[in-house]
Amino acid sequence: MTIEAHGPDLDAVDLNGVDLSDRDWWTTPPAYRHAAFDRLRRERPFAFFAEPEIPGIPAGPGYHAVTRYADLEAISSQPAVFCSGRGAVSMQDVPAELHEFYGSLISMDDPRHAKIRRIVSKTFTPRMLERTLDSVRTIVDDVLTRARATAEADDGAIDVVADIAAPIPLRVICDMMGVPEADRPGVLANSNIVLSGGDPELIGGDDPLTAFLTAGMEMAALMERLAAERLADPRDDLTTALVRSEVDGERLTHQEIASFFILLLVAGNETTRNAISQGLLTLSEWPQERARWAADPSLDRTGVEEVVRWVSPVTWMRRTATQDGEVAGHRFTAGEKFLLFYNAANRDPEVFADPQRFDVGRDPNPHVGFGSKGPHFCLGAHLARRELQVTFRAIFEQLPDLEVTGPPHRLASAFVNGLKRLPARLGGDR
Amino acid sequence: MRVHVDRELCVGSGACEMLAPDVFEVDDDGAVQVLQDEPDDDAAVRDAVSQCPTGAIALG
Repeated sequence: MTIEAHGPDLDAVDLNGVDLSDRDWWTTPPAYRHAAFDRLRRERPFAFFAEPEIPGIPAGPGYHAVTRYADLEAISSQPAVFCSGRGAVSMQDVPAELHEFYGSLISMDDPRHAKIRRIVSKTFTPRMLERTLDSVRTIVDDVLTRARATAEADDGAIDVVADIAAPIPLRVICDMMGVPEADRPGVLANSNIVLSGGDPELIGGDDPLTAFLTAGMEMAALMERLAAERLADPRDDLTTALVRSEVDGERLTHQEIASFFILLLVAGNETTRNAISQGLLTLSEWPQERARWAADPSLDRTGVEEVVRWVSPVTWMRRTATQDGEVAGHRFTAGEKFLLFYNAANRDPEVFADPQRFDVGRDPNPHVGFGSKGPHFCLGAHLARRELQVTFRAIFEQLPDLEVTGPPHRLASAFVNGLKRLPARLGGDR
Repeated sequence: MRVHVDRELCVGSGACEMLAPDVFEVDDDGAVQVLQDEPDDDAAVRDAVSQCPTGAIALG
């Protein structure tokens, strides 16, 4: 077992050297970052940071990093005081041109948010998702079979991200939406750009703003085409349900459907992908927990919850104060920004016993990996949970010989806790 | 023990349905419906109340 996996060294952290706005800081070893968040949580629970500079977007006033579970919950559960409408997924206020594509319900406030969420949640109920579970099992089985074939063709070597973690959620969400096979590589590439955090490897030669705009336009165009096709020729998929669904006689506008589509593709893809890849990395670092979970399917539920707590695939969401006030003794004025660091709250010792221990049987586990209290709680939590339960169980059964062989290549992003590559091999020792 | 759901507050997260599927179900309108008004007093129902993201479930 490595030090990276287990013992964060609190003394190694100089808080003055910690800049949460610095993309490169997010590629430092997780144990170091968790040690830094432990210190922030204890010593500077509302630490202030300047916003990073992005070409084409004026730098804003900066933000407070919320790291204690209780503070995060207090802010998240008061959406009228701490709004999402000025931007929930970026440190900067969202430029008008990006809002057109990325202004989905995640960055919206009630009453508009409530109305759209209701239209969408009608098509996304646990019962409807249970019906898609058989196809999830088929997809997972097929992806793992292909991973085995890839390994056999290449001396056992696979990339956990490209061969397992990326294709599963992409195929699940594209199946649900009815995205044709030919459009899927483009969806994956664009969804990578949207959640790249500006990582140069993923956005190619473009500047981030241009890359985000192009990706948004391409996905919106795909959705326009699909929506028109489904209106003319309804099928048994989510897109058909979305174009037909209404609340109080109101349907989603064209732009709302496109924005929601982008949200689903991105949120339904990358988060689950990173939960799978980082979950497998974590299990390789905690072999006893892996053996315990693999041997006992009754741990599938708690095991997945622990993976989501441990990984916290979405690192933060932002809220902006709509008025002056006070939270936990911290006074704030209207317009101040708060970043809710779910990764930090998920290791708060006030809530989790032995929080730096990965425990696949942890119960209760009131983690905030899908968001905290409030109306923005992850719409896809149920899908993600079931998809991850199916995936990890299938991996234990079909790829028991999976062995991580090299260090992960981490995404340089403050927002998404992602892996770009994770070398592994299938040793054939089954 | 009586269970009440405020369907205006409910965002259909399905958290309660996951914890206590005999008692809660997100219906075709995207909000939770109570399947048993007076379920047995058990931990799953209390968990569902405390874990509801919007505090839409009340025990009476």
